[in-house]
Amino acid sequence: MTKEQAILQAIALTLAQALVLLAVSPAIVGLIRKVKARFQCRQGARVFQPYADLAKLFRKQPVVSTTTSWIFTATPYILFASTLTAGLLVPAFASQMPLNFAGNIIALVYLFALGTFFLILAGLDAGSPFGGMGSSREAIVASLTEPAMIMSIFAIALTAGSTNLSTIVHKTALLEGIVTDPSPHLMALAALFIVALAETGRVPVDNPATHLELTMIHEAMLLEYSGRYLALIEWASAMKLLVFLSLIANVFAPWGIATTLTPMALSIGLAVYLAKVAGLAVLIGTIECMFAKLRLFRVTDLLGVAFILALLGLLFFYILRG
Amino acid sequence: MSWLTPHIGTQLVDLGSALLLLTCFAIVAQRRLSACVDLFALQSLFLAMTAALVAFLTGTPHIYFAAALTVLVKVLVIPRVLKRVIERLNVTRELVMNINVPASLLICGVLVMVAFFITQPIMPFGHLLTRDSLAIALAIVLIGFFTMIARQKAVTQLIAFLVMENGLFLGATAATYGMPLIVELGVFFDVLVAALIAGIYTNRLQDAFDSVDTTRLSELKE
Repeated sequence: MTKEQAILQAIALTLAQALVLLAVSPAIVGLIRKVKARFQCRQGARVFQPYADLAKLFRKQPVVSTTTSWIFTATPYILFASTLTAGLLVPAFASQMPLNFAGNIIALVYLFALGTFFLILAGLDAGSPFGGMGSSREAIVASLTEPAMIMSIFAIALTAGSTNLSTIVHKTALLEGIVTDPSPHLMALAALFIVALAETGRVPVDNPATHLELTMIHEAMLLEYSGRYLALIEWASAMKLLVFLSLIANVFAPWGIATTLTPMALSIGLAVYLAKVAGLAVLIGTIECMFAKLRLFRVTDLLGVAFILALLGLLFFYILRG
Repeated sequence: MSWLTPHIGTQLVDLGSALLLLTCFAIVAQRRLSACVDLFALQSLFLAMTAALVAFLTGTPHIYFAAALTVLVKVLVIPRVLKRVIERLNVTRELVMNINVPASLLICGVLVMVAFFITQPIMPFGHLLTRDSLAIALAIVLIGFFTMIARQKAVTQLIAFLVMENGLFLGATAATYGMPLIVELGVFFDVLVAALIAGIYTNRLQDAFDSVDTTRLSELKE
């Protein structure tokens, strides 16, 4: 294969992954809502309803308060771009991402943090009391999830011997090296799952189905947004959820992912990926129906558990190698 | 059984012990009493599975017997007794603790490290396939002990005591492939009787003080 062909292939793979992320993420949100509706004995909206919602929002005219600064209008684009970039670092259906030279697993954490940071600023920017409240809560949750996420990621990186996500997933998929040690992975998985629920504003931490409630976190920051800005933020949140699900699915159970770039392997990889992500979405929907939202001051307990689990994963790496 | 190499066997035993420690932390973080009991039953189930796995890997039949007894006594009988005790109480959750949950979790994390550093010099001399579990067993004992200090309600203290016993059982299995059967039988009987007595004692406490807070016991009455 010539150099030009390799470059073209890399660009095609990156574009394909971006398309999959953009196209699948609203359906995942719709699937979770459908699962919740079925558990509550409701018919529920179609799984594809979020696409229609996004299309409607893109057609509407955005209303921007005159008291806001450039941060308010820039945030949706920054959030969308940082989330999409983060999504391109996580292998979805092919284990070797062409962009893996651009950032490792730590870059992924801070790409998410960049979006969260701007969203917090935007919540404060319009000067509404709800926005400030949501921002301060989001800052609490974000500062507590970050150490847990970094620790669980270190536990994974230690067992795989690399912080590069593509290397981790590729090695685990091919069962190379010491990555088959289950105990640190189990702890890191539990920690990362709690972190994923907290970061994407799912039920034990935040309720995504509420508007205008005193307990809301994520929605409180978005209250001032409308039109295409709201659509971009909603889409970015859906993508963030999908990226976290891909991270969990592919770091801990990457089997089935395409380790070579043949059309056959890629199509199997895509089908397996969609099945895994849909399975996790059903799991999240089930959890949202089984548990009540925690009180805000109990959230620290849950995130403390996540941090300790990640720490244990790190410790087990040393303890259990004997 | 070509796939079941000693290496994979060791990892499976390690995984079982890791699950035991995981439920330990869940018990420390849990405030609802009935959920604590459920978690203890789950931990005992993991313990029985780990013991059965060790029995299978080493071909020592008396550990199977101990595992079956664990299921009978600690998964079925003791949780039922505790559930019945909780039904009679006027508390469903632990609200006041000597040490709050995030601090308890951090202290338990430190205890795991302490257990690891204590057992670290011994472990390389072991030749059993369960030797890595020794650190985890010691950690579970320490966490159980700490939980008994950190909680005030009699029921949670009882659960913490039982968690300590689970840690000791795991330690015995890890260090020597289990104690002789007659010793195991005696221990199971002791634990069962201790749980029953503590259950009755909790009910008496409830009747006498209208509370199951054991700190009340330090006030002497005529």
